[in-house]
Amino acid sequence: MNILKRLKELCGIRTREKVPFKILFAEFKKSLELNNQILDLIADANDKLSGDYIFDEQYIQSTCRQLTDLVRQLIVTINHLTDQKYIGLYTYFHKIEEEIEALLRGQALNQVKDLILPYNEVSRDLADSVGGKNAHIGEIGSSLDLRIPDGFAITTAAYTLFLGENNLRERILTIRQRWKDCEIAVDDASRQIRQAIMSGEVPKKLKDEMIAAATYISSQYTESTPCFAVRSSAIGEDEISSFAGQYLSCLNIPLDEIPEAYKEVLASLYSPEAMEYRLMMDFRPHEIMMSVACQLMIPARASGVVYTYDPVRPEQETMVISSAWGLGEPIVSGELPTDTFILDRRPPHEVKEMRIVRKDESMVLRGCGGLAIDGVAEEQRTEPSLKAEQLRELARAGMRLEKYFKRPQDIEFAIDPQDQVVILQSRQLQLQQGRAPRACDLTGLDGKYRFLLRGHGTAAMEGIATGPAWVYTEGRDLADFPVGGILVARHATPQLARVIHRAVGFITDVGSTTGHLATVAREFRVPALFNTENGTEVIEDGRDITLDTECLSVYEGIVQELQYYAIQEDPIEEMYEYRLLRRVQKKIEPLNLTDPDGDNFTPEGCRTYHDLTRFVHEKAVETIIDLNFYHAHHKSTQAGQLLWDYPLDLILIDVGGGISGEHEKGIQPEQITCGPMQALLRGMSYPGIWDMTPAGVDFSSFMSSLTRTSSVRSTSPEDVGRNLAVVSAEYTNINFRLGYHFTVIDAYVSDNILDNHIYFRFSGGVTETVRRSRRTRLLAKILSHYDFLCELHGDIVVARLKRMDKGRMLHRLFLLGLLVGFTRQLDVKMVSESTIDTFFEEIRTIMEKEHGRV
Amino acid sequence: MEEYKTSILILDDEPIVSKRLKPSLEKKGYEVEAFTTSKEALERIEERQFDIVVTDLKMEGVDGMQFLTRVKEKYPDTEVIVITGFATMATAKESFNKGVFDFLAKPFKLGEIADVIARAEAKKKGS
Repeated sequence: MNILKRLKELCGIRTREKVPFKILFAEFKKSLELNNQILDLIADANDKLSGDYIFDEQYIQSTCRQLTDLVRQLIVTINHLTDQKYIGLYTYFHKIEEEIEALLRGQALNQVKDLILPYNEVSRDLADSVGGKNAHIGEIGSSLDLRIPDGFAITTAAYTLFLGENNLRERILTIRQRWKDCEIAVDDASRQIRQAIMSGEVPKKLKDEMIAAATYISSQYTESTPCFAVRSSAIGEDEISSFAGQYLSCLNIPLDEIPEAYKEVLASLYSPEAMEYRLMMDFRPHEIMMSVACQLMIPARASGVVYTYDPVRPEQETMVISSAWGLGEPIVSGELPTDTFILDRRPPHEVKEMRIVRKDESMVLRGCGGLAIDGVAEEQRTEPSLKAEQLRELARAGMRLEKYFKRPQDIEFAIDPQDQVVILQSRQLQLQQGRAPRACDLTGLDGKYRFLLRGHGTAAMEGIATGPAWVYTEGRDLADFPVGGILVARHATPQLARVIHRAVGFITDVGSTTGHLATVAREFRVPALFNTENGTEVIEDGRDITLDTECLSVYEGIVQELQYYAIQEDPIEEMYEYRLLRRVQKKIEPLNLTDPDGDNFTPEGCRTYHDLTRFVHEKAVETIIDLNFYHAHHKSTQAGQLLWDYPLDLILIDVGGGISGEHEKGIQPEQITCGPMQALLRGMSYPGIWDMTPAGVDFSSFMSSLTRTSSVRSTSPEDVGRNLAVVSAEYTNINFRLGYHFTVIDAYVSDNILDNHIYFRFSGGVTETVRRSRRTRLLAKILSHYDFLCELHGDIVVARLKRMDKGRMLHRLFLLGLLVGFTRQLDVKMVSESTIDTFFEEIRTIMEKEHGRV
Repeated sequence: MEEYKTSILILDDEPIVSKRLKPSLEKKGYEVEAFTTSKEALERIEERQFDIVVTDLKMEGVDGMQFLTRVKEKYPDTEVIVITGFATMATAKESFNKGVFDFLAKPFKLGEIADVIARAEAKKKGS
């Protein structure tokens, strides 16, 4: 015996050939189970973010640890299955595990390392690094077609650097502790900390980066010396409006004074009010961080605030805009009188009320640096500070922001010298508790509104949404999906996630609550109702609807009572546990590996537990399919040739419960106890489907052959290759070579919907491109109609189906059986475009006839 | 005459529980007092009776079992509902012997605890 082989055996390392298929298959099944357990746990954890649960830190810890354990097992399994091919997964797994542990210990936030981030690189996801204000404004600029001031975020990494280089961390903690221990008053503590910060030096690297970023922005403008607004953007700020205004904003700061202004803003993090507020809100020391916003100063003609709901009279369906001439600071703080406009929330946003006050003064920029209160020109004093068109534009912007952030908004804006609306800030508007109609008003909706759907489907994300329905049909471009629309589609396919920033709700006929779309819907808190069965039929495109996933209902029109109910929801974001869960979820849930053919579909590409799980699942299926090709099956499995009326030279390998009785001389079809295989063979042997007419016949004779019982033995055996199928009671993996076609089917069908999958791959054929393309399109059309996700690569069709109930899965395997028999020489017969529709109808008729019989 | 409000005392050392539960129950018309230490809660029950007590079992430095024992001793007709993490479910089941009305495993939905409280309330009114 070869020494190396012997050594391996002594060490217990089995060589590939020694592992019986049965064991590999068991590993495969284990990987499926783990996969589902993980997805369930992720979905559960996500559910907790829906706001309907009471959970504590203990729950977050135990869930994370369970997940870590399952993902580890999953990686062990795939490595068993592939002879340690994916050992590299451990590296990325450990990295994620450590990040999660650090979050659980409260040692870290999800932060970037950059000191400065320009606004075009800032999004909501970076809120832990750039603070709420920056994150929101960056998101508005990049995801919505609204104007924002040019600027950049100075991140929490900069804050950390500043504290570190000036040795301030310990000093601040000590002073803070003395205050908490009641040794010193809050005013003293605040003054001491602020003095310490002001006497610190802005590190050179940070200073250079700030100046460079500001210089770059200045260079984009022709004005000689633009100035900047340096504002706070603390972590936790803006999520709750009561927090706003407690920090400092330095306005009209010349470029070279930015570092000094930066320090002042940092120091304001420790104002007595802010310190007390954070104590009340149970902020932990590691959460006290300051990011700073540095924005180009806008020499505003007018400024103001939009409330997308009248906070004291939300039932009026109106929004409130207040404005005055000049800069916004004295308007927001209430120092100067403002005009008030009440507008209809609904387009075209009619102005319902206008209260114009006399505006004698306004705040203006002074040269470069500083501000002044100036007299307003006489003729402007009694004029409305906003024009009709600007009011409408603000109303439209307000509604877009509200739909996008899914909460009523409190928006600060400026009108620039070109009369353009610029959004300076947008945050959640707190409606007065008790002002909005109460939940008990929800009784009696039945009589008032018409149900389009009622008690149908499963909630993938709880919540209420109102807006126009947009029914997705084949060929429709998702790019046309309107902001604030509710997407109605047949399948909850991952592609639909593209509209997540614009959609306020999802409704699908078919879909899994553990699928990608459901996950994304929870991440963005977009209400989603799946498995309604006929949503696409009963919901009319373009009509306003109201979705209430808690009651599994869809109403015709806008149900105002539900709309108010939705905006009353308690702000759970205020709680530490909620913030912590959201942070760890970021390491667990987002799915970056969406495309198995994508460049990032590698162990290195895995950023989250979900990524690792997806990767392993894909590779496990791939491995089982490949094993059947290349892996010489082992003697421990039962095997035999199928004895059938049709010339299908099929070798069956039974790995457990797939075949009954004796089969030394071959296997009779009746002996097959494998559900998926039975369904397939039923389809393949459907009368008239196994078309044996020689290639080259024309269309009309082909059609007649469909109804004729053909002599199945008329084709020479050379037409068929040697075929292999692995079966168990619930699983089959088949490789067919029929004529010039090559087909792979991998299916697992059990009573557990989550385990179920079908993979179908079809390629080959001997005809010119046009006909092959027709055949491909026909297959795609049929398969898509029956809920498969199809990919076309040239004349290869790959179709996947997951997570449907047993009956439907078997019905679809019957379909694949039909297709395998039917398409055998189909490309030869696809003589015109119209054949696509004809054959499609033919298959549909058979499917409908057979419905329920599988 | 003012309508009688069912009174509820909540004790859990995790502030999030009271923070979420208190407003939700108040909205439903209950009178709610919430505590995060058993010391304060014990002091309070010496002062007055509550119709329903909601308590965690295992808290840092606090024994929920002692607390609920004292409650049942002093006010046998107060209904006690135990909310606890999965790990202490066995102990929770033991608490049935102490006359506990029902228990709920954390995490739970607001609707679930509201149902249990409504049942406890119905039992009290029926008795």
